[in-house]
Amino acid sequence: MENLFKLDKLEKTYPNGVRALKGVSFDVNKGEFLVIIGLSGSGKSTMLRCLNRIHEPTGGDLQFKGKSVVSLKGRELRQYRSKIGMIFQHFNLVPRKSVLENVLTGTLSRTSIFKSVFNMYSDADRQKALELIEVVGLKGKEMHRADNLSGGQQQRVSIARALMQDPEVLLADEPVASLDPATSHSVMEYLRKIQQQYGITVICNLHFLSLVREYGTRVVALKGGEKMFEGSPSEIDEDWFKRIYGEQAVEVTIN
Amino acid sequence: MKKKSTAFKTLLIDFLLASYLVLCIDSFIFTRHTMENGIDWASFGVVLLIGLILGLILNRVSKLSIGKMFLKEYDTSKARGIGQKPYAILGLVILAVTFYVGVLVTELSFYEFFSQAGIQGATRIFTALLNPNFEVLDQGILAVIETIYMAFIATAFSLPFAFLLSFFAARNLMNASGFGLTVYYVIRFFLNVSRSIEPLVWAIIFSVWVGIGPFAGMLALMIHSVSSLAKLYSEQIENISEGPLEAMTATGAHPIQVIWYGVVPQVILPFLSFTIYRWDINVRMATVIGLVGGGGIGTLLMQFQGLARWNEVGLLIIIIAAVVWLMDFLSSKIRESIK
Repeated sequence: MENLFKLDKLEKTYPNGVRALKGVSFDVNKGEFLVIIGLSGSGKSTMLRCLNRIHEPTGGDLQFKGKSVVSLKGRELRQYRSKIGMIFQHFNLVPRKSVLENVLTGTLSRTSIFKSVFNMYSDADRQKALELIEVVGLKGKEMHRADNLSGGQQQRVSIARALMQDPEVLLADEPVASLDPATSHSVMEYLRKIQQQYGITVICNLHFLSLVREYGTRVVALKGGEKMFEGSPSEIDEDWFKRIYGEQAVEVTIN
Repeated sequence: MKKKSTAFKTLLIDFLLASYLVLCIDSFIFTRHTMENGIDWASFGVVLLIGLILGLILNRVSKLSIGKMFLKEYDTSKARGIGQKPYAILGLVILAVTFYVGVLVTELSFYEFFSQAGIQGATRIFTALLNPNFEVLDQGILAVIETIYMAFIATAFSLPFAFLLSFFAARNLMNASGFGLTVYYVIRFFLNVSRSIEPLVWAIIFSVWVGIGPFAGMLALMIHSVSSLAKLYSEQIENISEGPLEAMTATGAHPIQVIWYGVVPQVILPFLSFTIYRWDINVRMATVIGLVGGGGIGTLLMQFQGLARWNEVGLLIIIIAAVVWLMDFLSSKIRESIK
């Protein structure tokens, strides 16, 4: 198996003194659907954001395809980020812009500042954006304002935006936490399609264990900024569940 | 350490308030001093000394410390009504004293207001104002057109400066590095200083610099508009949702692209709304600025007033009122439609 990310005692301490990651080490393999679980505040979101350096790790090392990326700067850092797509709990689409314009922002790293300010994207990029909108099932909504769509549709726009980057990895930060159960499954199906058909590695933060068991190929659990479990989804039994989520926790399912 | 500095702050507040109270009682209530006598610095020192002693007593011995009230040092959870908050009563006393001194200082006089001579003067001027002289209508309209364009150019020229500055004056965009924060503080400082100088003062400065006329007025309005708009714009930027910013950063976009796509779409309509409102304000201010030589209808008003030609002044007042009402109406309609 080809190694994609290698986290080596990765640490993150915020300026206010909160230690979100206390030396987390694990590997991410190419093509897998890795799920990160843990309570709110366990460091899941921070870890994901350290991977594409939206948040700066404050210690340890992070390697992408065998090269350390913790000291990349400027253009090199932006090139690195462009290989990693990201989707968010609250979708984070650009308000007041159409679906097409939102998907096209996925090309910003390869479009010059001048051209992007005046919306001058190449024909090839436009064509590709239209195709991807069709792939996520939003054909006919290209010119609709993205912030007027339903939650599930907005998340699909953000998936198309991420795919527009031609990413090798897709980071998903609780992609279904603000969606209803039916829509959740549809969005998760798209993520699985991306992983299986496009061969893009997916790293996904999730809350519901039922979703973890259904979609994940491997699981890492964080607790208080430390890794406490790494293995296959089927290994998480009642005992592990209580260790990850605390004695009081009761598993709820999403169907 | 924190405890100590809080104690010092409460003492400082009590000292200043006590000194103020002593000063008011001494100069305006005991000796009925008025402003003409100048300041006796020696007795001012005595006042400060008494204020210090009184402040210390209020702060340390009594339950009358307003400083402690402001810094939430008193436990108010059990206090029922104002009777159990003696410090609040002291606050009301200070307010009452301030009111009394204010009445003395402004030389409030019902006699002047209702005296025979006063009423006659008022009748004369109101009669003239209500009989406007329409012979100067052309002159007035030309002058008010000058005022409107002056306000428009001042707003238009201030827009690009305010737009650029606002991004550097927004804390959420500048707090990534120490250098960014320094730039933020420097720009905030200059904006605050230039905004705290009234356009009227800027007009006086520029009328000496470039000569009396609409250009001086335009410059004065522009300086003030840049700092006011930059402040409003930057507050709007500080209130945006961080999500799109984060998403744009994650795509590998250049910081300028991140701002253009992550920030600008979120603030562009409020910016437009503020700008139109600013034009409206500038038309009103341009009139006032004309009074000190900034050109336009204000200058014309000043000339007629100097000649005591009240019928002409009456007409100009009608024109100003009409234009201000119209601008106010139009700007609120436009701002409503772009929400």
